[in-house]
Amino acid sequence: MFKHQPMWGEPEPFRQLLAGFSQENPDIDLVTEVLPNASDAVHQYFLTSLEGKSREYDVFIADVVWVPEFARAGWISDISDAFPPDNVKRDFLPGPAEAVTVEGKTYALPWYVDAGLLYYRTDLVPRAPKTFDELIQFAKAAKQKDPSLYGYVWQGRQYEGLVCDTYEAIWGFGGESMQGKRVTVDTKEARAALTYERSLFTQGISPPSVTSAGEEEARRTFQDGKAVFMRNWPYAWGEAQKPDSPIKGKVAFTTLPTVNGEPGHGALGGWQLALNAFTPSWRREAAVKFMKYMTSKKAEVSLAIHYGRNPSRKDAYKDEGLRKEAPFIVDLLPVLENAKPRPVTPYYGMLSDVLQSEFSAVVSGIRTPESALDRAQKFLDHVTQGGS
Amino acid sequence: MVLPAVVILVVVAFYPILATMWLSMHRMILVFHEETFVGLGNYGFLLSDPRFWSALSNTAYFAAVAVAIELVLGLGFALILNAAFPGRSLLRAAILVPWAIPTVVSAKLWAWLFNPEYGLVTHLLPGHDVNWLGMPGYAMHAAILVDVWKTTPFVALLLLAGLQTIPQDIYKAAQVDGAGTIRQFFSITLPLLRNTIVVTLIFRTLDASRVFDAVYVLTEGGPANTTETLSIYAYKTLMRVGDFGYGSTLSVVTFLCVMGISVAYLKVLGVERGKGAR
Repeated sequence: MFKHQPMWGEPEPFRQLLAGFSQENPDIDLVTEVLPNASDAVHQYFLTSLEGKSREYDVFIADVVWVPEFARAGWISDISDAFPPDNVKRDFLPGPAEAVTVEGKTYALPWYVDAGLLYYRTDLVPRAPKTFDELIQFAKAAKQKDPSLYGYVWQGRQYEGLVCDTYEAIWGFGGESMQGKRVTVDTKEARAALTYERSLFTQGISPPSVTSAGEEEARRTFQDGKAVFMRNWPYAWGEAQKPDSPIKGKVAFTTLPTVNGEPGHGALGGWQLALNAFTPSWRREAAVKFMKYMTSKKAEVSLAIHYGRNPSRKDAYKDEGLRKEAPFIVDLLPVLENAKPRPVTPYYGMLSDVLQSEFSAVVSGIRTPESALDRAQKFLDHVTQGGS
Repeated sequence: MVLPAVVILVVVAFYPILATMWLSMHRMILVFHEETFVGLGNYGFLLSDPRFWSALSNTAYFAAVAVAIELVLGLGFALILNAAFPGRSLLRAAILVPWAIPTVVSAKLWAWLFNPEYGLVTHLLPGHDVNWLGMPGYAMHAAILVDVWKTTPFVALLLLAGLQTIPQDIYKAAQVDGAGTIRQFFSITLPLLRNTIVVTLIFRTLDASRVFDAVYVLTEGGPANTTETLSIYAYKTLMRVGDFGYGSTLSVVTFLCVMGISVAYLKVLGVERGKGAR
């Protein structure tokens, strides 16, 4: 039994992919089930069903931030025997490989990847900005020519997207999210990152609407031609290139800016395949075979061409078919190679919950970065002290 | 015949309540397989948890303002609908539409109306740069507006039912005695509607104190937790964080608050025995 998220678009290629597995392994019964699309809802489902030691399904999809949490809880199986960590590092992109490795053991396989990137309007700016200052400067110049334009739209609502965007800024200032096993949020890089985010509003680079914007709100504004820059995930590219898109042919993407001009790290998103820890041993071999099949080059190329899911395997990007059918995905490789996971910690759920509200407080101007980060760190230390 | 009912009530109603209370006395984080009895420790932490106090005051503010507006508006609608005029039954049905739409759907709809770029609300009101759902202070009032829009019809319907139990003879007698419309309203309608009003208030206040779906869909508690109600805080703690101990504590406290409100209403306003409007 395989539980996964919906594949938007034509159902046929995905069906064929699954049928291919059954043909190769006629002795294995494959049953699949589609889960809702909302990550929160799916997380809640797995939380309760795995706590109840459900053995109803074997292979399931896990969001990139769940792996350490589920591994710590003993809900997903250590699959290092079938997929040694060194092989995972060799075969898969660095960010996803790091995200599925917990304390030197493999707990899941990357299936498809996502990463934050910077979109810009080629008709409004001379070239891709490399630093935060350049972004602000280009945005200001474009706004001077056309005051109705917004400079930079991104995800500022109190939700997971804000955590991703802010971590990208923190990495851009050279910050790290962990010191050993301790999650550190109250750092000088984080203060600089939040100060920068807030200054986007005070300088009029980002419109106030960003404080309630998620991915779609930002994309609509950008796609209507109202903004110079946008931070978003790769899916926005396909939308921007649709025939009726007003900005078709006027958009390009690049890695996110940083303080010193080095290519920025986008937050790593995407989904992994995990093996239920309560799967009985006689089904384990079949499940491992299935995971191997679904993360094979052939399967990943098919998902990339038909569904725009970015492969997690390095060798998929060398595929001729992919280069011809979906050159955009191949172009994304530098962004994906540079993607970083958010803090790899079993406490991620708590961490994100407190960061969402504190970051939101800074972005909407009711707390200073100093006091928000201090509050967040105190809460985290309080929770994690007694934890493990 | 009483026994089966009691058994069902115990199983369905009391068991979950007691289990939650028991859980609330544990430090229990799902992913860590921890289950330590901490007595009232969670309650102690709660008293010093600023997020709890802000969630409590958000909830209280939401409930007080929303219910007050709903009651006044709802009474107005009920009086209009109680008067005889052509097309009355059609209007009675039409007014219920907001109430009939599932909350999540209407909240999503309002989220678009409040959208700072495309939203109708933003364009109709002066000052186009108000970002209703993204600015502290504004977001809460946006949520209240959505609740008022949705539940005023329900309040109107309850009050209308109450109005129709008042015998017309009393009004006729009052007219003979020379009482004007306003005098009639304050001396006859309001006193005789008292029980219905109390019941309506209880219904709505309890609902509003547990408010979850509308606010969650609109803002997820943001910005900066300024619209985080007790239910949203409890949900996030239980489901997103997996902290079943403290999450249960929050649920129990929400339950106690709701109980307290009902008891207070009955004590202060009091439903006259035997004349209950239900």
